[in-house]
Amino acid sequence: MTFRNTYRNNWYRPDSRLWLALRFNHLPLEALALDNSENNAMVIIEKQRVIYMNELAYAAGVRFGIDVTTAQLLSNCESHERDKNKEMKVLADLSAQLYQFTPYIETYICQYLPHTGLLLEISTCLKLFSGTTSLLSLITRFLQSAAYSFEVGFAHTSKGAWLLSFQPIEIVGNETKELFCERLKKLPIQLLHDFPREVDALQKTGFSTLEDITRQIDAQKISAIKKRLGVQFSQAICDIFSIEQNLQQKKLFDTPLTTYKPVEVFSENIQFDYPISQNDQLHYPIEHLLQNLSQYLRKRQLACQHIEWKLSDIHRNSFLLTVHSDSAESHWELLYDLTLIQLDNRELPFEVDSLTLNCRDANPVQNKSHALSFNHTRQSRAGTRSFTITMAKLKARLGDAAIFKLSYRDALLPEISNAVIAINEPCNQHLPDIHKKALRPCWLLAAPVLIEERKQSLYWRGKLTLLAGPERIRSTWWDTAKARDYFIAQRHDNVRLWIFLDLHKKTWHVHGIFG
Amino acid sequence: MNLTSTEPAEIDLEQLLNRPDIWRGDSRSLVARTSVDSGYPELNAVLLNGGWPTQTLVEVCQKGLHQQEWLLFSPVVTKTAGYIVLLNPPAIPFCQSLIQAGIDLERIVIVQVCNKADFLASFVELARTESCEVLLAWQPQQLLSYTELRKCLLATNENNGLCVLFRPESAQQEASPATLRLLIEIRSKDVYLGIFKQKSVLQDSAPVSLPLPKAWKGFLPYHLLDQITLPGQSGISPTKRKSGSVVPLRRGKR
Repeated sequence: MTFRNTYRNNWYRPDSRLWLALRFNHLPLEALALDNSENNAMVIIEKQRVIYMNELAYAAGVRFGIDVTTAQLLSNCESHERDKNKEMKVLADLSAQLYQFTPYIETYICQYLPHTGLLLEISTCLKLFSGTTSLLSLITRFLQSAAYSFEVGFAHTSKGAWLLSFQPIEIVGNETKELFCERLKKLPIQLLHDFPREVDALQKTGFSTLEDITRQIDAQKISAIKKRLGVQFSQAICDIFSIEQNLQQKKLFDTPLTTYKPVEVFSENIQFDYPISQNDQLHYPIEHLLQNLSQYLRKRQLACQHIEWKLSDIHRNSFLLTVHSDSAESHWELLYDLTLIQLDNRELPFEVDSLTLNCRDANPVQNKSHALSFNHTRQSRAGTRSFTITMAKLKARLGDAAIFKLSYRDALLPEISNAVIAINEPCNQHLPDIHKKALRPCWLLAAPVLIEERKQSLYWRGKLTLLAGPERIRSTWWDTAKARDYFIAQRHDNVRLWIFLDLHKKTWHVHGIFG
Repeated sequence: MNLTSTEPAEIDLEQLLNRPDIWRGDSRSLVARTSVDSGYPELNAVLLNGGWPTQTLVEVCQKGLHQQEWLLFSPVVTKTAGYIVLLNPPAIPFCQSLIQAGIDLERIVIVQVCNKADFLASFVELARTESCEVLLAWQPQQLLSYTELRKCLLATNENNGLCVLFRPESAQQEASPATLRLLIEIRSKDVYLGIFKQKSVLQDSAPVSLPLPKAWKGFLPYHLLDQITLPGQSGISPTKRKSGSVVPLRRGKR
């Protein structure tokens, strides 16, 4: 009975599409979550130009595109920089919440103007929500609770619905394609914001509404528009009105609907029967949760580099423990070891009642980059992996700075040429000929150490005797000029040292040790 | 009713004899058979299995700091294909010297630690890593106890790499479970290597003398410059070469 009633409410053919456009006209301001209660004039700027103004600023004469100084002189307004990331986040959050109404959600962002919105295809879910009007009222109620101001457009095409959102008309639920087209034809061509040049050209030739364009198409076919204003513009017009081009198999050329994929987050929790006060007792629950995470990641072909543990007690105190890994992992073993390393280094802040594992950032495994090498055997790859895991564990224990590699940097001064790099970075091993033949020590001191001079002899942990040299190194004449004469010296215990005489300061220093 | 059996479980003698750590009279069977060429034939001759023992702990006691670690181990480091890890080195290696020696910088990783606990944890972790073929570790300032050294030794048994622990000369007097222990000391003309413990070798091995690199000897003193035999002039005694001889200046009588 209910089904029959709902079917009666659905006026549309099963194969026709219906689009609902939600245009968030105050999003640049609302995304910043500013306090607008004091009724001040406010403008949002981008590249020092006004892109949004509130009513007070508009009343004071501020218009779109004027520079921020003029706007402030006109209205004494507050100015805020536009934050596109925040706007995108609002749209992503709204999309996730609107997913309860339809699985087909697209985001619209205008290239030239600060117009953003969401486009919802609703023809497939009319039966579920008892018709267009009830669905629309549900969506409206939801958006009003979200406190974002919006305008609604309704049409048989997504672009048409977007344009109609600029001229809101009450939605009855029995609109036909012809009615939508009639409404669209009355719209001014200035609403085609994505094509400013084409609109300008059309205005110069006397076009004012979309009807003028459709009339032209009726008289001379779409190819005339295509020829004069480009393929993209003619395609946009076809998309707005759903003009069928002469195609033999129309179904094949239908644009497929974009299915919205909600962001998945792994979060699992274990409640303990009794409060846990020792680290060791957490090992098994941690392993269990990580195994579940591993299953989740492998089923979706994902890998993660960052997980978060939340320890809570009965008094709602919580403690966060974040674990980072150098490489993206879908197996649990490394994450388990890294977690234990972090846990071993600290005591539990309270008696733990529940343990939660969160993994918010996971990337597809296919995006992982691998070195293209045909010589690598399976064994060597496994070896590299085992080494990577060891390094990740050591980094978790000792810190990133404690593990490094060396690389040659093209410089004359030894301390500058010895570069310390992260283990993931590639080394430069190209040594110029000038250094290839010179005698160099195996160890280089972090900074040259001053040598004591006593009775015309040199002393550094023993008496030094010069064996060979000098090799003159001059460098950084543009900054603080450095000139050094390097010698090989022998200490009383026969250790060979690399020492230099600073030619400017006339002081001797030890710089390296032959070992 | 007593459910636990009072009789001891039967132990198969064969199973026991299969264990490598049970002494069976032939002491050499206890020692790891794998080894890597040290690059010095005179040293290989005194080492059991003709090279540095792998899968075990090698302890090098140094007289003073920086006693020819690279000179001793660079032939091994150059040949290995896996990673070479320097744990707690006394200074930073100079990349120019390593490139000159033909050592691939991509495979050298340096790990610095602050305390003994971190050193032990890192040593055990690295020694167990399959792709870490050479581990050169320098003892931290705090002395390692026998138990801690034993822990290191057990970790090295799990992998096929060469694990070397550098310790000060004073450690020579302390007991250590390392399979091979030696003292290294640089002299004026050579490098002295004294092996004072080698598992399964009861009599003391003869000390080994390794030559110093030519460049380290420096220039000859002034009075010896005359004795250099230049290429193409071999066979001419310095006394016959008038032009090459250095005659001290004498004040002549007027």
